[in-house]
Amino acid sequence: MKNFEFFEPTTLPEASRLFAQEHAQLLAGGTDLVIGMKASTETPQTVISLQKIPGLDGISTDADNNITIGAMTKVREVELSEDIQKHHTALAEGALEIGSIQIRNLATIGGNIAHASPAADTVAGLLVADAQVDIASADGGRAVPINELFTGPGQTVLKPGEIITQFRLPNPTSGSHYIKHKIREVMDLAFIGVASAVNLENGVIKEARIGLAAVAPTPIRATEAENLLKGKIPTLELLRQAGEAAAAATSPISDLRCSAEHRKEMVNVLTKRTLQRAVARA
Amino acid sequence: MSEYNVVGQKLPRVDAVEKVTGAAQYGADVHPAGMLYGKVVRSKQAHANILSIDTSEAEKLPGVRAIVTQEDVPSGSRIFATDKVLYLGEPIAAVAATDPDIAEEAAELIKIEYEVLPVVQDVMEAIKSDAPRLHGDATKDGPNRRDIITKIKQLSDNQEVDNNEEIRKLEAELEKYSDEIYYNISAETHNAAGDVEKGFAESDIVVEDTYVIPRVHQTYMEPHVSVASADSSGKVTVWASTQGPFAIRSGIAGRLGIPLTQINVIGTTMGGGFGGRFGVIITHVPAVLLSQKAGRPVRVQMTREEEFLDGRPAPGCVIKLKTGATKDGHILARQALAFWDSGSVSGASIGSTIRVRGVYKIPNIRIDAYGVHTNKSGTAAYRAPGAPQAIFAGESQLDEIAEKIGMDPVKFRLMNMREEGDAVPAGGSEPKVGYKETLEAVADAAGWWNRDADENQGWGVAVGDWTNGCGPGGVYVSVHEDGSARIFHGSMDITGTDTAITQIIAEILTIPYKNVTIRRGDTDSAPYSTGSGGSVVTFTMGNTAKLAAEDARNRILELASERLNTNADNLELREGAVHTITADPPKSITLGELAAFSLSTTGGPIVGKGSFARKPSTPALAAQIAKVEVDPDTGRTRVLKLVASQDVGFAINPMAVEGQIEGGVVQGYAWAMMEEMQYGENGNINPGFVDYRVPTSADLPTVESVIVEVPAPNGPYGAKGVGEPPITPTLATMANAVRDAVGIRITELPIKPEKVVEALKNNGHKA
Repeated sequence: MKNFEFFEPTTLPEASRLFAQEHAQLLAGGTDLVIGMKASTETPQTVISLQKIPGLDGISTDADNNITIGAMTKVREVELSEDIQKHHTALAEGALEIGSIQIRNLATIGGNIAHASPAADTVAGLLVADAQVDIASADGGRAVPINELFTGPGQTVLKPGEIITQFRLPNPTSGSHYIKHKIREVMDLAFIGVASAVNLENGVIKEARIGLAAVAPTPIRATEAENLLKGKIPTLELLRQAGEAAAAATSPISDLRCSAEHRKEMVNVLTKRTLQRAVARA
Repeated sequence: MSEYNVVGQKLPRVDAVEKVTGAAQYGADVHPAGMLYGKVVRSKQAHANILSIDTSEAEKLPGVRAIVTQEDVPSGSRIFATDKVLYLGEPIAAVAATDPDIAEEAAELIKIEYEVLPVVQDVMEAIKSDAPRLHGDATKDGPNRRDIITKIKQLSDNQEVDNNEEIRKLEAELEKYSDEIYYNISAETHNAAGDVEKGFAESDIVVEDTYVIPRVHQTYMEPHVSVASADSSGKVTVWASTQGPFAIRSGIAGRLGIPLTQINVIGTTMGGGFGGRFGVIITHVPAVLLSQKAGRPVRVQMTREEEFLDGRPAPGCVIKLKTGATKDGHILARQALAFWDSGSVSGASIGSTIRVRGVYKIPNIRIDAYGVHTNKSGTAAYRAPGAPQAIFAGESQLDEIAEKIGMDPVKFRLMNMREEGDAVPAGGSEPKVGYKETLEAVADAAGWWNRDADENQGWGVAVGDWTNGCGPGGVYVSVHEDGSARIFHGSMDITGTDTAITQIIAEILTIPYKNVTIRRGDTDSAPYSTGSGGSVVTFTMGNTAKLAAEDARNRILELASERLNTNADNLELREGAVHTITADPPKSITLGELAAFSLSTTGGPIVGKGSFARKPSTPALAAQIAKVEVDPDTGRTRVLKLVASQDVGFAINPMAVEGQIEGGVVQGYAWAMMEEMQYGENGNINPGFVDYRVPTSADLPTVESVIVEVPAPNGPYGAKGVGEPPITPTLATMANAVRDAVGIRITELPIKPEKVVEALKNNGHKA
């Protein structure tokens, strides 16, 4: 590991100021950063821990079931939160898919998102939750919808000094489900990930959201498939068509894990399956 | 009730407490004063000429204490690449520094200029005439060319008749097989019995297929590590994480020209070996060279990435297999043509191709096997080297035949299995082995005969055979004044072998297991011991331990005879004391009393010595049944049931035996379903546990083990080696179960979801 300067600021403005420097990296849970530093794929000159800044972790639910998740909330906490399990099942299921229990006790949801891996397991769940990402910076801050956060593998709209502070999840009144395609039962990386969320009104789909991971340079929403579903009765045939539409929206790569073609096929299969379960849960 | 008190019992391992509490000393726990950290500088190219090596910048880095290259190897034995690298990660130099980060930085500062050469990593490409050549090997001929050339030679040798026309015809035919001129061949082996052509001609059913098995890593938990300390007198001490300290001692002596007894190898607690922990040049020799140059102890420890780049994994291979049988189920002939991926050096276990024969009566058999050079690291043993690959091909194809004949796969195997007294092709006759008993036991335990399966579920069966090795060993046992005994020996504990040795000695001395302790010496102090691999330890060291305990017992009876004033044949040793058989009143004396008495006798203390080298071993069979469910849309396979039986001869510690069965089955499952070293244009592309998947406990149900005991005549208490057999059939068990579940035959491992989806699509399945 290369030498670096380590800071533990206690306020967000201080952290933001430090993070605005060149070659600076934020340390949240460290489960991505430290591995990268050991492998010399990450060589920050400045590492800024967010651990000492109060108020960045925890899950809170208001009277209208709007949920806020602090960026420094442990993935394990997201997985075990009864409110998230109930209202944003796909997100809790995604959290459960990350690494081992030991990893989930260290890793944070903010880190999982800010790392901007197209294969991040919490991202599809946040996409279908229509989450807003609150961002702090020296000049105040802003909010960005989760589907506008990512610009490429490892790339986001975050500017130097900008720090994700929390995720705001509106009351969903929907059922959702996440499936990760993988080889190993646990502790595997997503070959692809699919989350679907569905709101029903009198047996008709009022709103549907489909979030896809590891099938494009960034996590994406399958909007055409979503539109296809809107206002219709969720027959198996309709869900199958949505699967095909979702697959058509992807632009996956072939790599050592599997081919682009297989990824597309699995988007088709798993979109249908997650929709089936989401409808049942709605 | 067993006739034994200690052997045959499920007793806790002698090293259980030190392992569980973390007290056990592994290689990385060794830290002599002044120790430096070594780092091997590795090739960044899979195939290249080295134009220059410049260490000058690295030498200037503060904290660097030694840099070694091939120029520092006085014997000339090749440790580091000089003019050419043959694989990604090949060692070119090594550095030692006061801190691991400095060592790493220094390694990066060593400038190596390459002239990149074309790379070949696929065996079937490497044998072609247009493939890049790794060495200047002579070409070798394939089976048809070999046959024709033999015929031509016979005809030419016969001077009495004019054969010229026939020879010309054969020479013309030879031309047709120009694709059977193989390049990059490291080794070849050929076996034949009977006449396969005749056998295939007489067969009603002939099945032919090509099986592709990937290169896999042993993935022991502890990466290679050694700490070497060379003192000013030239004496070298090496703390080595190895399966064979004595082999490492002779290896270092041979490689570096150091006198054998100037080297002391201390075996540290081993974090798994599986056959991959015998190599001497991987870390031990670089550590010694660095310590000699720096004058301080040096640790060389591999990262997991280095393990994948420069470990010695199990070879992958391509096996073209053909089997013929009659429609009533008799196998008549089998022929294999195999290409083993040996990597940059020879050494792949090509001889194991013969294991496609299995344990069946096959009158006509022919094997042609070749080791092939590719731009990868060399290979080494992995749990029954070569057998899982060959048996995957053999047992997969057997199911295809059974299917075509319409016979139950278990019955088909039982019908063809060899029996005691059958002639063995290599000579002699088949010993008594529980082939049928073991297969019947697993079928009964799994519920094979009334098996049920829902949609997309299926059952698979396969058997695999292996015979334990044998080697030299020595054991001392001392009996102390408190009646306890201590064992001293030099073999590395692997999978609980120290426990088995302890149980055997406690049994013979009739004292409680907890009153026997065991100590391992280093190569300076302990008697010679064979390496702990090839399932040898319980067989060899068990026999050695028995001899040592019996020797001690003789001295005990001699002392008791003197003490109790009676003949030794009127004495028996039981429950830790010697008793008279006929005496009124009966007399007895404890081992402790005898040990105390021995100290003031002419004969001296009770010290038993056992020394043993070899006796013929007996084959062992492992039989397994799996029930799986395949998701036809995603291609994922879940194991619902996994039952494994094994003829172990005699289970000295049934708990340890079950552990071995479970471990072997899980490694076989992993090889079948997920493990695979993958190669891109410039070498290995999955050097870590993110993309080289080993299973977790969530992937498998509890493995049910069934122990079958058909004693081996020369094994201690009838025991056979148990470590290797259980991995041998699992690859085929899984493939056969998937075939039964969804009707697809996967011949190229691992059985990844994508392959299953692809095969099902080709079968007409639509998601």
